[in-house]
Amino acid sequence: MIKDITLGQYFPGNSVIHRLDPRIKIVLVFAYIVAIFLCKNFYAMGIMFILLLAVILLSRISPKLILKSVRPIVIIVIITSLLQLIYNRTGEVLWEWWKLKITTGGVNMALFTTLRIILLVVASSMLTYTTSPTMLTDAIERLFCPLKVFKINVHSIAMMMTIALRFIPTLIDEVDKIMSAQKSRGADLESGNIVQRGKALVPIFVPLFINSFRRAYELAFAMECRCYQGGEGRTRLRVMKCAVRDYISLIVVAATVAGIILLNHYFPTVL
Amino acid sequence: MDKKSIVKFDNVSFRYEAAEEGEKLPLAVDGVSLDIKEGEFVAILGHNGSGKSTLAKLSNSILIPESGTVTVDGMDTADEEKSYDIRKTVGVVFQNPDNQIVASIVEEDVAFGPENLGLPRDEIRKRVDDSLKAVGMYEHRLSEPHKLSGGQKQRVAIAGIIAMLPKCIFFDEPTAMLDPQGRKEVMKTVIKLNREYGMAIVFITHFMEEATLASRVVVMDNAKVVMDGTPKEVFRNREALRNIGLDVPSVAYLAEELSKSGVNISPDIIYEEELVERIEKLIGDR
Amino acid sequence: MALIETQNLSYIYSENTPFEVRALDDVNVQIDEGEFVGIIGHTGSGKSTLVQHLNGILKPSKGKILFDGTDIHSSKDYTRSVRFKVGLCFQYPEYQLFESTVYDDIAFGPRNMGLDKDEIDAHVMKAASFVGLKEEMLKKSPFDLSGGEKRRVAIAGVMAMEPKVLILDEPTAGLDPRGRQKIENMIADYRQATENTVIIVSHSMEDVARLADKVIVMNKGKIELCGTVDEVFSGIDRLVEIGLDAPQITRIFMDLKKKGYDVRTDIYSVTAARDELLSLLKKKGVQV
Repeated sequence: MIKDITLGQYFPGNSVIHRLDPRIKIVLVFAYIVAIFLCKNFYAMGIMFILLLAVILLSRISPKLILKSVRPIVIIVIITSLLQLIYNRTGEVLWEWWKLKITTGGVNMALFTTLRIILLVVASSMLTYTTSPTMLTDAIERLFCPLKVFKINVHSIAMMMTIALRFIPTLIDEVDKIMSAQKSRGADLESGNIVQRGKALVPIFVPLFINSFRRAYELAFAMECRCYQGGEGRTRLRVMKCAVRDYISLIVVAATVAGIILLNHYFPTVL
Repeated sequence: MDKKSIVKFDNVSFRYEAAEEGEKLPLAVDGVSLDIKEGEFVAILGHNGSGKSTLAKLSNSILIPESGTVTVDGMDTADEEKSYDIRKTVGVVFQNPDNQIVASIVEEDVAFGPENLGLPRDEIRKRVDDSLKAVGMYEHRLSEPHKLSGGQKQRVAIAGIIAMLPKCIFFDEPTAMLDPQGRKEVMKTVIKLNREYGMAIVFITHFMEEATLASRVVVMDNAKVVMDGTPKEVFRNREALRNIGLDVPSVAYLAEELSKSGVNISPDIIYEEELVERIEKLIGDR
Repeated sequence: MALIETQNLSYIYSENTPFEVRALDDVNVQIDEGEFVGIIGHTGSGKSTLVQHLNGILKPSKGKILFDGTDIHSSKDYTRSVRFKVGLCFQYPEYQLFESTVYDDIAFGPRNMGLDKDEIDAHVMKAASFVGLKEEMLKKSPFDLSGGEKRRVAIAGVMAMEPKVLILDEPTAGLDPRGRQKIENMIADYRQATENTVIIVSHSMEDVARLADKVIVMNKGKIELCGTVDEVFSGIDRLVEIGLDAPQITRIFMDLKKKGYDVRTDIYSVTAARDELLSLLKKKGVQV
């Protein structure tokens, strides 16, 4: 059943990480990702790993869920590691067979990139795991506010994101219902070649689109009835304010980045 | 009784635009005059396509009449500059709760209207909390709307409207898609808004039992108002109601049957309690 | 032998996740050929989940469903054949219309059955006449019809498979009194003409009492009561307890009983109500 898929990977909680200002969180994750690419050796990467581990522990999100976020990228990790193993010819030769040669350099690089990809994915999942979708869109709207200068309507984009988030579960339910109904009339969605399967989707997508247009139309009326006139003159229920914890987290991340630059300087580079 | 008029329809006609050019659709609302007074509870009955839903959209300048005028608290709905103030005065709750909830968290959705009004934060907070308490959804303020039942969702939608402190709310078949439980919840909320908060209510429905709860019933057929009176006055016209595809509450049939069988009972009875009381009185008088 | 039978049927939504819900819990029902069954229960009682098992759309977590004595999941082919023999029409079925003409939409089921052109035509025309669609309507786009007409087209789409069992989930939900009446008459006519098994799912005891012979009451995924309409109404207090709405007429008698009068509470029709009240008044010596 489609319903079983968990979307909008937010796990409600009340930890320090959950309570961080979402704007700060976005900035920090961005800084963290940049820092990962700055890392040039295992020592630097180790620090990044420890920092992330600390965040995970503080967030009190079960390690099982963290592992789950890594699962979809396992194949990418394996392929990139294999490529590194095969094509990297630096360092001592560890194993050789026909044209294949595995070297210490290759092993190091494979480990290094694996670590990099995993940290990258886990760090960004931590953002969505601990921040509700509404908070995220809110934060994005505020962070990108300066773009107004370039005549970009940040408010409209954020409003669209809010509405999309609100309707995703509703539409998933709807797809589920339409699929069951068409299956009840003997629609075969599981067999046949690509063309046949594509055709089988018509009875699902036509009603879905028609219903979505109807919903959009009704929603527009309802929004107008509630005095919606775009972003101009709007106030907000939730005001974002930076607390002490936000400043502390900024300092921690800044210190880590500084540490990495130092480590990069004093220890040999893997790359 | 000299109450102030909140929404006044004066000989209003309206037709929707046809999809093809040159064609003309029949009038959806045809010469309707209706005066909704402050604090009144009016039910509008009629089958689908009778024009009753169009009235809701005409009430707050979502639609503008083709001829005639709609006046909201002294403002003409055709005056575009007033549309904002008009919508602040007259709120509309629609049939499908799913399609009127904007945000993914209950309290944020309720805040949507007050946010649009540009109110200060503290005022928004207060209105959101008060509205959610009024509809009995305060404990669910942090829930996600799609996890609520139909009746709960509809109550959230109602809270979103009352947070704007309107003087009148039009309900456009708010119970049509709900189960009996949800219908009861919504009816209870609507009655409370009318009695405790003194809001004028215009309740569009095709459930007779719901219409009997109002103090005034308006029946629409073929884009026109065909009856207007107290529930008792309106439900007395059984034949006429049946002819336009409506019905009367089953209690009314029972009272009629009893009266025909020689029981000293008024055939006008439309409430259960009324019938039970009458029976008790007959036995007590013995 | 029952036409459809469930044996210890259980169904759990989102099994092994924190959102696990036991929608059906050890359900055993038997439905015979030619019966007219009403299934009632409040939202979340499991009534819709139950009927979605009867045509094999949902697969049981435990237990099985027999059609004609054979497990409907015994083979893929059998599951597919049951889908056509047990026609299931969902709630608000008008939102599932998709073809460009009414005719083609009704023909969707028969086409999937692999029938030839003449047979399809015969099936469509028969179904259209059951729901009272005129021939000129068949060429129209289903999206140009009124709400009630769309509903009838969608129901015809299921009838056109000529199933042995027709299941309708809340067929009158959201319609006005006129639309409700039309659909109810149509179901009664269909049943009389075909003598097939019909199952309707509803919140309303009143609707079910008017149409069905046998009533199944669901509560919290279990069968609460099963019997004739009269048998089920004799347990009205329990039905109200589990959140069902008693018909207005019945509520009058429940109220009188609460006030200490000796009246029956299993009354739901106006004539029965009149007779019971008359006999009460006579007993109390009121001149009638």
